[in-house]
Amino acid sequence: MFNEELKAALAAVQKPGRYTGGEPGCVYKEKSELDLRFAFCFPDTYEVGMSFLGMKILYEELNQYPRWWCERAFMPWVDMKEEMEKRHIPLYCLESKDPLTAFDIVGFTLQYELSYTNILAMLDMAGIPLHAADRGEDMPLVVAGGPCVCNAEPLADFFDMMMLGEGEEQLPVVCELTVRAKKEGWSKKQLLRAMADIPGCYIPSLYQVNYYEDGRVKEVLPLDGVPAVVTKAIIKDMNSQPLPTNFIVPMIGAVHDRAQIEVLRGCVRGCRFCQAGFLYRPMRERNADMLNQAAQDLCGNTGYDEVSLTSLSTSDHSQLETLLDDMLEWTPDQHVNMALPSLRIDNFSESLIQKTTKVRKSGLTFAPEAGTQRLRDVINKNVTWEEIEKSCRIAFEGGYTGVKLYFMMGLPTETMEDIEGIAETAQKIVDLYYQNPNKPKGRGVQVTISVACFVPKPHTPFQFCPQDTKEMLEEKQKHLVRSVKSKKITVRYHDSKTSFLEGVFAKGDRRLSAVLEEAYRRGCYFDGWDDQFKYDTWLEVFRDLGVDMGFYAHRQIPTDEVTPWDHLHYGVTKRYLISEYENAINAKTTPPCNRKCSGCGANKLLGGPCFEYDKSVVH
Amino acid sequence: MNTIRAWFTKTGEASYISHLDLQRVMGRAMRRSKLPVWYSKGFNPHIYMTFALPLPLGQESLVESVDFKSEAEDFDFEAMAQTLTDALPRGIDVKKIYFVDTDAGKIASAKYQVRIPGNWTKALEQYNSLEKAMVEKKTKRGTKPLNLKEHIAQVEYWQRDSETCFTLTLPAGSSGLNLNPSLLLQYLETAYGLPASVAQVLRVAIYLEGGEKFLK
Repeated sequence: MFNEELKAALAAVQKPGRYTGGEPGCVYKEKSELDLRFAFCFPDTYEVGMSFLGMKILYEELNQYPRWWCERAFMPWVDMKEEMEKRHIPLYCLESKDPLTAFDIVGFTLQYELSYTNILAMLDMAGIPLHAADRGEDMPLVVAGGPCVCNAEPLADFFDMMMLGEGEEQLPVVCELTVRAKKEGWSKKQLLRAMADIPGCYIPSLYQVNYYEDGRVKEVLPLDGVPAVVTKAIIKDMNSQPLPTNFIVPMIGAVHDRAQIEVLRGCVRGCRFCQAGFLYRPMRERNADMLNQAAQDLCGNTGYDEVSLTSLSTSDHSQLETLLDDMLEWTPDQHVNMALPSLRIDNFSESLIQKTTKVRKSGLTFAPEAGTQRLRDVINKNVTWEEIEKSCRIAFEGGYTGVKLYFMMGLPTETMEDIEGIAETAQKIVDLYYQNPNKPKGRGVQVTISVACFVPKPHTPFQFCPQDTKEMLEEKQKHLVRSVKSKKITVRYHDSKTSFLEGVFAKGDRRLSAVLEEAYRRGCYFDGWDDQFKYDTWLEVFRDLGVDMGFYAHRQIPTDEVTPWDHLHYGVTKRYLISEYENAINAKTTPPCNRKCSGCGANKLLGGPCFEYDKSVVH
Repeated sequence: MNTIRAWFTKTGEASYISHLDLQRVMGRAMRRSKLPVWYSKGFNPHIYMTFALPLPLGQESLVESVDFKSEAEDFDFEAMAQTLTDALPRGIDVKKIYFVDTDAGKIASAKYQVRIPGNWTKALEQYNSLEKAMVEKKTKRGTKPLNLKEHIAQVEYWQRDSETCFTLTLPAGSSGLNLNPSLLLQYLETAYGLPASVAQVLRVAIYLEGGEKFLK
């Protein structure tokens, strides 16, 4: 299992604990008793991958089947990749140390566009041919899931199958079919054709994309009788789906190294920039009793001393206060700290802050996203300055001395006035702190504004919008820094180059497969890591292959144009996206879905209304 | 309040858990196994733990220990050892739990078994005949030269199948000089090309001043 070559490689690299496995919570099985082996691959480092809740959910789900074994693989860091290549160690899964080629299904999760080259690197390191068309019957089925599947057309050449939507029920069906295909000796082609009938399963090779001469998509033709539109899989009732109660507990610190309880899925808010908000519709809650029990079990099984209530918008849970009260019954005794990562400014209450700070006080983060009310209305981030003020006042009175604020720049219709608004918002919060008569003596306030570059994403109302150019973003960043007058305010912003590449791949089409492959061949991987990102190489590759990056990122897409992702359906109709886009341009807001249905179409996924509107579901 | 010691091994995959990470791993395992451990008081309570003699990353050991406190009165040490082992990662086995009976401050030396793939008997023969073997030892304040021969005059080695093996007893402890087999291995690599990175180092005993074993 641990051969001499692997030991030598481990002796030569930083953090060898990334590559050993053996953590508490790992599942081991007897290989001779298996029908199916699944390699769950995360195309980034161990520390990032081990923070990902989706992997924990599906790991537990698949390993419940006694005759299936799901194992994990991550992208080895640069030093380990080099050692493995030098010593001819193929990429392996941590549990068995068997190479990926020993598995029936190799499944990648697509979380982020800039991890695409890592997928190629991982396949290559495993000795698996990159192109689906080049892989024979002896090679594993290479599949993908995760949010970026909503337009993973740039990866179409490399995957046999992609799964849209939620995997808990869909993935076991895929595995069952694979087991059957193995037993009955089906060809890969037969298996893939059969998979196309499973809800949410998309077989890129069974869809032919035709283009106009100028590069726009003309049409996407389904072949061999497969559905013309693939609709995502969904868990209709979250209460039917048990939460994972045992995590693999990493031994080297993961990015999010804590117990996680998914309190709800989806989001009612409808922020127009937010891809997750559209992909995971409709919002579905789990009930408080179930969550409390799962949190208790999970902390007991893992030994974690922190539990995070995760979701896209945790404070929108209708029973949040009940849940927190129930959890406070046992968390202090167990020395467990509670964390609520996604609170909203507008319903951040005094009792909420008291409850979360009972065990340990951590930082406060809010996301106004835009600096002026006009722009917040454009993006449908329905918060007002009064709400921001109220939340910060409560926080300061509760003893907090630091606030972190998230903003974006490069939003549609944005002007320099909106950029100045970011600085003004931060300044007003600083002033607010000094107005608090009970502020701690001798402690100053620290307001951090973290500004991301907006990337228009598919399946959102802003999919039609051009992304700001690198030059425009840099000018706005400079203007922001100039507009900040106080030393109490720290400005952090993201690199606009990575955002540009992210934008190109987010809205890319199949012709980008060649670009990805060539960039990987020229040494690009770990593009999401600043110290590894080779922007100049990327520019050269696009230029050498004659592909115009601006066509994908900087072009206004007419609302009647066929997009590369029109055949991938997440429940929200294109008609709705267009109407929301028009509302945005007119700075017209749309209410949250639990208050009033705006008819996005996602309720059809459930077969009925998303909320009982006659009852009061808003708190 | 009782001070209790868990004697454990750290082998295989677990040898790649760094000392810092081991503290977290052990803390979580104690929480998982619901051992009656004492938490420090204060704003951020944590389990009070002390480890004797940190082990370098990648080396294995049969003689690791962690001391913790407990306010409980009755202990079923055998059952505790089993539950704690079950809660720990593969490669960490708790051999024994008992009331602390020796002082980690009095640790004087440690014994190691070293195995290297290949036949390196010639290299060791040459080492044994040297007058001086100078290495740079890292200390908290930079590095300083050290003559290995003063501490390891002779290496008794033997060849077993395709491996060269030897044992070393080296000074260790919180006060005074602390030497690790990796210093000798690095020297042998530089001087004779022995592959230090694939050497397997196993700590087999820790001794107190006077020669008594630290873990019994």
